[in-house]
Formats: sequence, structure tokens, C-alpha cells
Amino acid sequence: MRRLLRALRSEAWLGRLLVIVSAVVLVIVWHLWARTNSPLILPEPGPVLERLLDYVGSGRANPHIWITVQEIVLGFALGGVAGIGLGTLASEFGIARRVIMPYVIVTQALPKFALAPILVIWFGFGMTPKVIIAALIAFFPLLENTYLGLTTAPAEMLELFRALRAGRWTTLTKCKALHAVPAVFSGLRVALMLALVGAVVAEYVGANKGLGALIIVSQGTLDTELMFVAFVQLTVLGLLLDQAHGLVYRLVMRRLYGSVGAEMRAAGVSV
Amino acid sequence: MNDKTGELSGRGHIEIDGLTKTYASDAGDITALEGIDFDIASREFVGIVGPSGCGKSTLLRCVGGLIAPSVGEVRIGGDVVTEPDPRIGYVFQQAVLLPWRRVLDNVMLPFEIMGRPTGENRAKALEVLEMVGLSEYVNHRPGELSGGMQQRVSVARALAVEPSILLMDEPFGALDAQTRDSMNVELLRIWHESQTTVVFVTHDIGEALFLSDRVMVMSVRPGRVQDVIDVDLPRPRTFSEVEADERFWTLRQRIREQLN
Repeated sequence: MRRLLRALRSEAWLGRLLVIVSAVVLVIVWHLWARTNSPLILPEPGPVLERLLDYVGSGRANPHIWITVQEIVLGFALGGVAGIGLGTLASEFGIARRVIMPYVIVTQALPKFALAPILVIWFGFGMTPKVIIAALIAFFPLLENTYLGLTTAPAEMLELFRALRAGRWTTLTKCKALHAVPAVFSGLRVALMLALVGAVVAEYVGANKGLGALIIVSQGTLDTELMFVAFVQLTVLGLLLDQAHGLVYRLVMRRLYGSVGAEMRAAGVSV
Repeated sequence: MNDKTGELSGRGHIEIDGLTKTYASDAGDITALEGIDFDIASREFVGIVGPSGCGKSTLLRCVGGLIAPSVGEVRIGGDVVTEPDPRIGYVFQQAVLLPWRRVLDNVMLPFEIMGRPTGENRAKALEVLEMVGLSEYVNHRPGELSGGMQQRVSVARALAVEPSILLMDEPFGALDAQTRDSMNVELLRIWHESQTTVVFVTHDIGEALFLSDRVMVMSVRPGRVQDVIDVDLPRPRTFSEVEADERFWTLRQRIREQLN
């Protein structure tokens, strides 16, 4: 047992080491490649870093970051509430499922980014169209995962609740919903990343602020360096959002299952 | 509710009357149970044995009101069973504990479902947990317990509401032989203390004989009552006494011949 733990631990360390080494290699390749190109095509990592520090340090980046974060969070929240709500309805009521699902399929078949121009016409260049796009795109994984989580509670558990004469609401809140927690959280994770993509791409269509708008502006002025600065900011933002999700997930799982790890792995949930 | 001697003793009386259960399937109707007539007295311990697929579990589910008979009826305390009764305790082959609840909260579940749990309910839950020997584990999660301990929690959960009837569907079938033996001894002690009617489905003839007042032997599908055996072994029973008793081996032989 101890040997197994040690092996796992060393593998974890090996993994981290490999990630760092490969990242360094990638930056070196980027650097070497950039030197053979015009900075208009591919700027070198060094100047991009300098520009980033200057841009963020001077506070000029803040309004862009702040706008994009708001769009993501609002879109994620709206799409999340709608996805979890409709997923729950669809799982509980056959008639709701029959009515909801065709609409869901249609909204999924329609590329949501195709809606961005009309949303700009309707709502202008402010945050609203971006929030709507982010919400539309974040909605689907949550609906799917909520539905999946709620409908896969083990049959024996449901039989127990039936034997105890639990009503629909009790069975939902005391059994199905808690069983669905890992599935919903994995949906939330995908939704969060999709909300980021949705907000940024919607900004391409028409915006004066936001990291997506910054990319479009830097394209217009051939300021490739600034574009890379925006890429780095978006990546860091995505990582932070994912870390925040992971933190909340671990807190919730710890509260439900006591300790993260054995119990979750027993339930087939990857940590 | 607390009138244990009067109403509950009547509530423990099970009458199975002309019970037939058929299922529709792609290959036509399947008759799982056919014409079962059987009376179980209050506080009696009845074992049900039979080959796998003979409908033992189906019979238990009909008694518990989880499924409806196609023909015939089950009466408990004189009332026809039409839906699950919270006064019936169930123990399934799997412990079916909610992994996100601590042991005590799992035992409290039936109270929560029936309404707002009281301090009295909590005391009762702790009492049954002590009865099954898990006082030290009330704050553990099911995932931290062994299979045998999990099944004891499930027995405690069934007993907490002071059921007049305990329906057990191969409850110890998934446990190793030693754990199973000790669970059987404990079950008899608990049954003696709690005075509930127990219907115990198993495929283990020895287990059925060790535990039961009477053993119902069922035939292969469609399940019928093939034989009813009175187990006239003295109580309280221990494994060594039972296995030293000639009658145990005679009865065991008799059941085995019928099952083959």
C-alpha cells in the first residue's frame, strides 16, 4: 500500500516535471521560430511578456478584462440556471421532456455565433449580446449533465425511497439531486469554458471593450504583439475560472462525502 | 404508533391469498408466481428458499407493496396491500446506503421522509445502531465501512421505525461466510428483542433453517409453494447446537432433494 502511494506520488511529480519541461521547450521553439519571422507575423515571447507587464501594470488592461469577466459570469449564471432548471424539469416530467427537447435540439443545430450580428442590431454594442451568446452556449452542457445526473440514480436507491413512500420532491432533493452533483459539476466546468469562448467571439462581432474587442482592434492596427497579450490574458482568465470551479467542486464534494478521493473514486468520479 | 402489544401484533400478520404475478415480455407473458397461498403469523420468522429465478424476490415485493399482484392479494393485519407501507422495514441484498450521508443520517432517513424528525427519533436511531453494534461509527460515511458493517446499517435503518414486519431479500448473500454467520446470530437476537415478523429470502438452505420457524420451499418458475417445513429446533439457537442436531440435517436433506 505504502509502495503504491509512493509510486503514485512519484508519478504525480514526474507528470508535473514533464509539463514544466515541455512548456519550456514550447517557449524556446516559439522564440526560435519568431526570430525567423517578422514581428508582425509572430512576435517573440520576450517582447510579448514586456508588453503584457506594461499593459497590465499600467491598468489599461483592466476595463477590458473586467467587461469580459462580467460577460462570462453573467452568461454562465443565466445559462447555468436555465440549463439546470430545464434539465430538472425534463428529467422529472415526461411532458416537459417532450416539449423541451425539440427546442434544445434546434438551438443546438443553429450555430449560436450566427446570432451575434442580429443580437448586436437588437441590443447594441454593450454587454447584452455577449451575455446572451455566452448563456446560450453554456446552457446545453448543463441541461445534458443535469438530466443525465438526475436520471441515473441507482435503481436500488429509488426502490428504497419508494418503499419508504417518499414523494417526488423528497426523492428529488434527498436522492437524485445529491447523486447528480458530480455530473452537474462536470457540466459546469464545460459551461464555464464555453461561456468564455462565447463572450470573446461575440465581442468580435461588435464591441468597444473586452478582450475579444482588443483582439479585433489589434488586428486592425496590425499590432500582433497586443494580440498575443490578449491571448495570454484570456488563457490566464480561463485557467483562473477553471481553478475556481475546481475549488468549489472540492469544497462541495468534501462536504458531501467527507474526504475527496476514495469515495469519489469509488463513485467513478475523476478528481 | 407506540401500542406495540395491541395493534402492531395484528399488523405483523401477513396473508398471501391466491397470489399470481405475470409479466409481459417480448416472448409473451411470463408467469413469475402462481397461486401462492400462505399465512404468516405475527412475530413469526419465515424463510423462503428456492432456485434462482423462482420469484422469491417478486413475492417479497408483492408483500411489501412495491409491485402489485396480477391475481389475488396480500393482506397485512387484515388490510389489502396496495402501496408501500412505511411500517414495513426492507433490507435488500445491497445495503443501499446514501454515500453522502453519515451512518446516523442514513438511519434517520425513514424518519425524515415521514416528516420532521424529532429528538425521540434520533434517540431511537442511536439505539438501533447500538443494537447492531455500530455505536462507534455513527459519524462515519458508508464508504468507510466494510460490507458487513454497511449491511448492519441497513438493518438498523429498517429497524429504526419499529416495523411490524421486516422483509429481507438475501440480505447477507454478498457477505463472506464468517460475517454472514455472525450477522445471522445477531439477526436472531434482534428479532427476539424487537418481536417483528420477519420474511427472509435466501438461497442458502442452512441459513434458512438456522433462522426460521418455518421455511417455504418454492418451485422453479412459475414459482409455487412446493413445501412448507416446520423447523422444530429449540431457541435460542447457536450454530454448534443446530449443527449437532440430527433434525437439522434431515430437514436440510429434505429441502435439497426438492430443489434438485
